[in-house]
Amino acid sequence: MTFYLNTDKLVPLEEAIATVRDGHTVALGGGLSARLPMAAVRELIRQGRRDLHLVGSAHGIDVDLLVAAGAVGVCEESYVGFEQDVGLAPAYRRAAETGSLDIRESCCVTMLTQLRAAEAGVPFLPVRGVKGSDIRRLHPEYAEVTCPFTGEVLVVVPAIRPDVALIHAELADRRGNLHFDMPYVLDERFASASKAVVATVERVVSTEEVMGAGITIPAHLVSALAEVPYGAHPSSCYPAYAYDRDHLREYAGATAAGPAEAAAYVDRYVTGAPTEEAYRTQIGEDRLARLTGWSESTEAWKELFA
Amino acid sequence: MTTTSVRPSRSAMSFSIDEWFVVTLSRTIRDREAVFHGFASPCAQVAMHVARHTHARDMLLVEGATYALNPDPAFIPPTGNDLSLQRGSTYQMRFEEFFDAAIRGDIDRMFLSGGQIDQWGNTNVTAVGPLENPKVKLGGGGGGCNLAATIGNLTLWSSRHRGGRTLVAECDFITDMGHRTPEGTRAELGFTGGGPEWLVTELGVFDYPDGRMRLRQLFPDVTVDQVREATGFEVDVAGDLRTVPLPSTAELAALRAIDPLGVRRVEFSPAELERVFHHAEGSGCAC
Repeated sequence: MTFYLNTDKLVPLEEAIATVRDGHTVALGGGLSARLPMAAVRELIRQGRRDLHLVGSAHGIDVDLLVAAGAVGVCEESYVGFEQDVGLAPAYRRAAETGSLDIRESCCVTMLTQLRAAEAGVPFLPVRGVKGSDIRRLHPEYAEVTCPFTGEVLVVVPAIRPDVALIHAELADRRGNLHFDMPYVLDERFASASKAVVATVERVVSTEEVMGAGITIPAHLVSALAEVPYGAHPSSCYPAYAYDRDHLREYAGATAAGPAEAAAYVDRYVTGAPTEEAYRTQIGEDRLARLTGWSESTEAWKELFA
Repeated sequence: MTTTSVRPSRSAMSFSIDEWFVVTLSRTIRDREAVFHGFASPCAQVAMHVARHTHARDMLLVEGATYALNPDPAFIPPTGNDLSLQRGSTYQMRFEEFFDAAIRGDIDRMFLSGGQIDQWGNTNVTAVGPLENPKVKLGGGGGGCNLAATIGNLTLWSSRHRGGRTLVAECDFITDMGHRTPEGTRAELGFTGGGPEWLVTELGVFDYPDGRMRLRQLFPDVTVDQVREATGFEVDVAGDLRTVPLPSTAELAALRAIDPLGVRRVEFSPAELERVFHHAEGSGCAC
């Protein structure tokens, strides 16, 4: 029995994240500037997790902050950065350039294929591309097979079964039925490929309300759930709030300045804010209200990005 | 850099290099193509909307990391994953739905850039310098090392050609495959997609006859010698080399409407953005 059938999974964030252990393979939900599980990331740092093996697609401050705090041993994401706007991921970049992080850069399609193998309970699946790319040099575990039906030689990649997927949702009931809006990115695949899903959620509501909104990830895949308003900040969690571009700039500026400045950011916003309530106070009500104001008008929304 | 012009006129419409560049990118799209751009690609993103509002009204526009089909955003935000990009979309693909379509060959074109681009159209978005000890660790390739194998055609772009570090004889790391890599040609590797068809830079437009980059069009304030100087390998020049065709007023209007925040401009150095051009009087409307 690997489904989670207990009827009440709502626990404090500290307790939910304590199920993640040093050395675990961890899938981070969301992508780029949207619905990153940031409260979970901050709590992992507060609890001093080490040697995490991160897997996923295109990510930003979630991965970079974990790297800055020294929590990551292996990074297997397809992209880590702040796009053209804020630029390269400063802690990830520094760790790569000093050789202090095992970077096994992957590809969205390869990662998807490896998760699908785990979901299907098979040891590997083929991919169509990858040949000719130096990405292969980073993955000695990839192999080749000759298709028994067509004779084509294809690259094959092993299943990835994360120990835990950290997913932030807009709504959930106490059983752990999750609702969130598209794009789901890899979250549905993470949920069924992983041994457990630990969710953070903006609001815990009735089962009827989650069903009305639509269940994105069913409760039987979810092992623990914590209610954390603004739990994706500084990334977005629509329809609740837009992403906090100014905060991303503040983070990237501080972290690019050097290890001491990066540590000062962690001290101020993570370890020095011992709870998510303290974090929200540190960010400030005015700023959070501004991010929820995106829906007032197109002009207000645009102004957030001007 | 000096401000240049194509027969300046006080009454004619002026436009800057970022606008001409994006319009030129948009013209690589054919009508009724299914087209995709990745994240961190504001110029390509704006170009796709320009195409859909001008010459390619029946294209299928797949909006970046949202995978929304044919949306009409009020503005392009500075990230590839934002709800604002989904406005008016008729349908939104799931992540895997898009990648499956691309891998089985149903996506006709993708825009792709790189910190390094070599003569065969291979691109590097992973690391500059030796892999073990990189000089610069770049962000990474997203889905590129599979998508580059199977998507119909690729439009490459770079707004950083002039500096001399982007168009290189050999990439330090090949993230996404062009027409040939040390492991073989596209045919030898079993790829079903056509590979790079065009490369647009702030200096000119290039194509890939026989898989190798060739100069086809120049912006009017750029010389062949300047292109040669900025390029790390010998540049073939087309026999019918000409000036990049001017953007029409309809294309410029579409571009300005879709990108009021000017996110496209972040891709250019401040010096390049000084390049301003003008339509000659009476010839402005090519719409």
